[in-house]
Order: sequence, then structure tokens, then C-alpha cells
Amino acid sequence: MTAPASTRPAPGVPRPYHFPTFTRTQVDSGLRVIACHLPGRRVGSARLVMEGGISREPAELAGAATLAARTVTEGTESMDAAAFAEATEQLGADISVDAGWDSIQGSVVVPVSRLEPALALLSDAVLHPTFPPNEVARLKSERLNDIKQEYADPNQRAHMAFVNTIYTPESPFSRPSGGSAATVSRLDRDAIEAHFRRYAGPQDATLIVAGDLEGFDAAAVADRLFGAWKGGAPAPATPPVAEALTATSVNLVHRPGAVQSSIIVGHVGVPRLVPDFLPTTLMVSILGGLFTSRLNLKLREEKGYTYGARAWFDFRRNAGPFGAATAVATGVTVEAIDDTLTEIRRLHAEGVTPEELAFAKDYLVGIFPLAFETPEAISQAISRMVVYGLPDDYYQTYRAAMQAVTVEEASQAATEHLRPERIAIVAVGDPDLEGPLEEAGFGPLTVTQDSPDVL
Amino acid sequence: MTAGNGQAPTVNFTDERLGNGLRLIMSPDPLAPVAAVNLWYNVGSRHEVPGQTGLAHLFEHMMFQGSRNVGKAEHFRLVSGAGGTLNGTTWVDRTNYFETVPSHHLELILWLEADRMGGLLDALGQETLDNQRDVVKNEKRQSYDNRPYGSSSEKLQAAVFPKGHPYHHSTIGSMEDLDAASLEDVRAFFRTYYAPNNAVLSIVGDFEPDVARGWVEKHFGSIPANPNIPAPPDGSLPPLMGAEVRQTVPDRVPMSRLYIGYRSPPLGTPEFDALSMATVVLAQGKGSRLYGDLVRGKELAQDVGIGAYEWVGGAALAMGWATARTEEGLEALEEAYHEGIADLVKNPPTDDEMTRARATIEREELEAFQRVSERADRLSMYATLFDDPGLTNHRLPSLLAVTSEQVREATEAILVPENRVVLSYVPEDAA
Repeated sequence: MTAPASTRPAPGVPRPYHFPTFTRTQVDSGLRVIACHLPGRRVGSARLVMEGGISREPAELAGAATLAARTVTEGTESMDAAAFAEATEQLGADISVDAGWDSIQGSVVVPVSRLEPALALLSDAVLHPTFPPNEVARLKSERLNDIKQEYADPNQRAHMAFVNTIYTPESPFSRPSGGSAATVSRLDRDAIEAHFRRYAGPQDATLIVAGDLEGFDAAAVADRLFGAWKGGAPAPATPPVAEALTATSVNLVHRPGAVQSSIIVGHVGVPRLVPDFLPTTLMVSILGGLFTSRLNLKLREEKGYTYGARAWFDFRRNAGPFGAATAVATGVTVEAIDDTLTEIRRLHAEGVTPEELAFAKDYLVGIFPLAFETPEAISQAISRMVVYGLPDDYYQTYRAAMQAVTVEEASQAATEHLRPERIAIVAVGDPDLEGPLEEAGFGPLTVTQDSPDVL
Repeated sequence: MTAGNGQAPTVNFTDERLGNGLRLIMSPDPLAPVAAVNLWYNVGSRHEVPGQTGLAHLFEHMMFQGSRNVGKAEHFRLVSGAGGTLNGTTWVDRTNYFETVPSHHLELILWLEADRMGGLLDALGQETLDNQRDVVKNEKRQSYDNRPYGSSSEKLQAAVFPKGHPYHHSTIGSMEDLDAASLEDVRAFFRTYYAPNNAVLSIVGDFEPDVARGWVEKHFGSIPANPNIPAPPDGSLPPLMGAEVRQTVPDRVPMSRLYIGYRSPPLGTPEFDALSMATVVLAQGKGSRLYGDLVRGKELAQDVGIGAYEWVGGAALAMGWATARTEEGLEALEEAYHEGIADLVKNPPTDDEMTRARATIEREELEAFQRVSERADRLSMYATLFDDPGLTNHRLPSLLAVTSEQVREATEAILVPENRVVLSYVPEDAA
């Protein structure tokens, strides 16, 4: 027996890794098809990326995209909702359709041996949905109940108050992604169906198939299942969003007796296609994206205020939010806000250190083979490429581009994209925090009290 | 094109022990250039003694606070810097620590795990203990105390398992016991349970077994065994609770919700597998019985579910839940829920239902097994809990072999009124 080694082992020689290659075809209907052959991956992932995301909803129809997406698997011209669910389960498939801010996506996860019949079900849902009135009514009532639950959850409540503070009411991003109680309760079946039919069509859609595709002719399958797809019209530019915040503000949402305060500090961020996307990603990872980020080390590992603290840019076609969030014991609410602001100010003013940058790069570059271990993860990555119009070699060149980011570029991104002098502070917590928050002098305090019947 | 078409994965592995008792399981698979390590210690919250609830979990936090050659937070820094992911989790029967990294960093994570198994106490101090005590108390606040319905699992455990039973208390523990945990408690816990002969180390992914074995021997080989690991606590219980327990829980919730707990036979019994299949037929997916009846059909429920925890200590916990669409509908919902379960006895699953349930769990297993981290976790799990890592390959066939009649029998034996606790969460202003 030998004594434990006291020095850390050096890494071995890395095995070369490349993001998987894929092929593109287009079927006669106009649908684009991306096939990604992954030898040995026997559970495949297919993803149908469509236009009609939540960002396109007019304010009065907020919630339509989410409900439309949920309804298309709840009844087709040949199957009712239960029959569709049973057919899916017969294949052992997981089939869902969901609305995001910038797309509606259908997803299929199934052993590749049953990929075609499972895709046939997705095709049926998307090409021949009937939006049965009873199912629409049920899903709408479920969504209204979900909204009540979102109000009751302190972290979700904080997020609602946060986006409501930083965006103008006309901006889709000011609302919960599934719509608010006011808008959802006004939605009718026709509006939900109309939203889907307006956008769901082959001209703006891409089918992504990933997995062991030996013997699977993606183009031929897509042609059989989506060749006759008609409908939708080309989507115009995504409607703009606007910022509401004119000065630093503090909003306390009352939660009497709460043992913790859920805090979000932030402002409107930048769009996904911002030229310095990689420096911005690195900078925010250093602030609050990694376990060893400045915020988590300060608030958790040094102060013990919280189970965790994080910061993020929510990258969308239009400028999504930048936020820093944590949940802390009620008694240290002011201190935690102060520490969060201090860290944002410090990064904004002083930038990143070479050591921090090297570390964040090591993580974001090194994580590639893990992050893309499964077909589902790969199809998700390719879908981001599709939605944001990134070049086909994006993931092939990503790691070199990330490595090339300099300290100056990452620091510049912090200076340009963080704005500590005009920032929203939201806390969901005990009403007794009003006094301490006033005294702290972060900015003018407003108080929100949710009345039970507002819901 | 349904279940049982020979697609079930086979995980090939070797199984050996070091001189100090550390069990080493290796399963090479070069498909992706990644390697996963999953280290299970045979200690969980069921091993805690009165007055020390939450200690196993608090201890898990201390494992990230540095060891002989590793500084505070450095474990995270080194693994993240290698492009890897990591964490630790504590559950009733065990505590596990895991990392997945690009495969050329495998030796680093073996060294990190060995450094804290052999040298945690060199770095243990009052300051880090107080810091992580605060972190864990905030974890409890965030995940239990300040979260709608957050107390449900604590209440179910307390009601399904009698006082003094190892599963009577939750893994997070009580604030009082967390406050009382001392450095000496943490040291004693480490000396008792964190020994190589109480652990299973699984490595899965892209590596050479002979090389990896050399690393394991080099880094773990000299850590002394503890010849006096206490036997696990006796969790044996009568199979049934004996009488229904009912509690109304006013909480800061907008909608009433039922939580229904049952005492179940433990994982590792044919009854547990049959019950698992019953839960799939009852409530997994939109084609399931309770979803079709309560959510889609009668529209009494916003959501419905049921599942059984994979516990081994003499008994386990099965838990169902359903959220009422309206406050007035809670009673009707509860009645329909119980009826739906009783109906599974009168009308056992059809061939079609069994086929769908099997296809669903088969796909889930295949999907999970695509990740090296999941395979490493299963190998350690079955080696720790049943001394049989081969169950990684045999569990799915066992589940697929469950018959409709066995589902009926398990439902009739376990999911019965005299064996359940019903918690009714109701909005506090309405209570």
C-alpha cells in the first residue's frame, strides 16, 4: 500500500471530439429536413420546429400559442385525445408539442425502430388537429389553475413581478409565457386554432431527426408524412419589445409570514444574435452561471444566506431579461440585495480576471461531449441553430470561437450589457421588510399585495 | 412493434474488491469520449439516530468543503474546469457522489473522491460547518417550508412509518437537529460510515479498465477499512398500517390537493415490482386510467399521479396525489381517486394497458441508459442495496414480466383504505 498521492493528477490526452455532422434535404411541401446519424444511439429524438412562438401573440391573445401547442395532440381528424395518447403509448413514445418564445416545437422520443410510426402521430397532430371544444375548455381551465399556482410559488411570483416591472405592458415578455389570468380567460377556441393555423406550415418549418438512423431514410419518411402539408403563411419579423424601467426601483410583493425572500435583480438584456454573444455568455457565467460564480460563492459559500444564487441572460430573438436571483432567509434580505448589486457593479466596472475567464472557458468548451451525449440534447442544439438562423457550422466552430474571447472582450460585454445604475429589484417576502427596504435606499419602494380574488 | 422486442440494454461490467473492501465496478463503453464515476456510501437518513435528523445530508454538504489536498469549493472548481458535471445526493438509504467528465480527466475525479474518503477530517472546521448548516437550513426553507405543499413528504413519512422507524423522519431533518449538529457529530459520522468497505465505486464510459484499476488502487488503496460498520437499523414492520389516517393541512396554497401515502413492501420484492407496474397503468401518461377518468373524463382533477419510492429498509412509501379543480370538488375527487384504484382490482389491466405500460417503461429505461452517468448510478445502487450490480440488467425484464394478475394482487393487497394516509391540503384562508 502506498500513501495517498498528494498531488493532483494531470489530464491525459483528450480524445478528439466534434459536434455530430448532419445532412439537409427539403421535401416538396417546402419543409426542411435535418438528419443527424448517431451510431449506437437507439433512442431517437425528432423535433419539428415551427413558427408561431409566444413572442408573436398580440397582447389580447396572450396564452394562445401555449394552448394551441397543448391542444394539437388532444384530437385529430382520425383520433380523439384518448386514442392519440394510447397510440403514442403503444409505441412507447413520448410525444409533446410546446410553445416557446420563438417557436412552437413538436418533440418525439422513441426507440429508432419505431421512429416512423411515432413521427406519423406527430404529423397527424400537426397536419390534422381538430381543437375539440371540450379539450380546449379543459386545457384553458387547467392553464388558469396553473396561473394560481404560479402566484403561490414565491420564486415564480418573483419572476412574474420582475418581467412586469422591466417591460412595457405591450411587450410580450412582460407576461408569463402561458398568458395571464386576464388574457387566458378571454381566449376562445377559434382564436387558439387561428393562431396555430396562421403559423403552422411547411414553409417556415424544419424537421430534425437524430439517433442511429441506419436504414432510416429521413427524406423519404418526411416526404411520406409531411409531403402533403399545406397551410400557414410566412412569418413576418418578430414584434418588438420595449423597456419600461426609467430608474432603479424596488418592488416588495407581500407574502406574510414567509421564512424566505425570493429576490430577483435585473433589467432588459440583449438578443440572442447580439454580436458579442460569447463574451456575454462568459461574463454572466462568471457572475452567476457556475457553481463557483461570484454570486454563489459570496451568498452561499461565504455568507450562508441561501441554498444558491445565479444570474443569467435569457437569450431570445428580441432582448430577453438579464436577472440575478436567489432565495434567502427573511432577516438577511437587504444584505443579500446589497451583495447582489455590489457584484453586478463590480463586474460592470472592473470586468473579469484572466483566471476567471480561463476557468469559464474551460468549463463551457470542455462540457461539449457531455452536453451532447444524447440524441435529444443534439436535436435541441440543432433546433436553436434553426430558430436563431445560426450557420450550419456553428457548433463546429463554437469552441474555437469561445477560446478566442479575450479578457477585454468579456469585460467590455459586462460594461455594455450590465446596467447597475438603472435596475429592478423585486422581493417576494414578509410585509415587515417594507421598513428595512425603505431604509436601505436602493430606490423608491412599491408594494404589491395579491388579493385572492384577483385570480 | 411493442415491448419485449429484444432491445433491452445490456450493461457489461466487472465487479471486484480492493484489499480495504472498496467495491469497484467498471463498465467500459467508448461510444462517447466521456467517463462517469458514481460513488455510493451505504448510509442515508435511515441510519440517523434520534436528535441527529438531517445529519447524513448536512454531512454530504461537508464533502464539498475541502479535504486533505483540496480547498473549499475546489472540488467544484476542478471538475467544472475539466468540463465536467458533479453533485451529491442524500436519500433515505444512501448517499452518493458523482462526476461525469471528458474521459481524459478520469484520474482527476478518482483522486478527488479518494482525497475526501481518506482525508476529509484534515480540512473539517467549525467555520465551514456553520456555513453549510446555514446553507442547508435555507435549502429546507426553499424546498419545504416556503413552498406550496412543501411539507407533504415530511408529513407522509411521519404518518406511514411509526415513531422510531428509520423512515419516520425526512432526509432534510429538523431545524433543531441541524442547529445541534456539532463538529464531533460530523467527525463521528465520517469515521463510522465513510470507509472504503462501506462504499461502491462505479466507473462507466471511455477508459481502459487496467489503467483505471491502477488509478483506483493508487488513490484509494491505502484508505483504512472500518471493521465495525454498524448493521443497518431494523426497519421491519407489519405490512399494513392497520387503519386509515386522515389529516387536513391548511397551507398557503391556492388549490386543494390530496396526498395519499401507502405503506409498501420494499424494493427487491415481487410485490414492489407489481405495484410499480400498477402505478404506470394507473397514472403514467395521458392514456392512463386515473388521468382518463379524473383529469380528462370527470374533470375533477388538475393533475394526478402515483408512484412508489425505491426504498429497501423493511418497507417503502407509495405516494399518490391529485389537485382538485375546484375547492368544492375535493371530496368528489377523493372518492373518484379511491374508486379508480379499487376498480383496478375489479377490472385488472387489459392486455392493451399492460402492453402500453411495458412499452413506456422500456423506452424510459433505454433513454436513461444512453447516459454513462445513469448506468454508473444503477450499478452502484444495486451493488449497495442488494449486493448484485447485475440487477442493472435484470430489473427491466422483471418489470416487463409482471402480469395483469400480479398487478391486481398488489393493488388489492397494498392500495387499500386500512393502509393509507390521506392528507388534504386546503387554502388556509378557507380552512
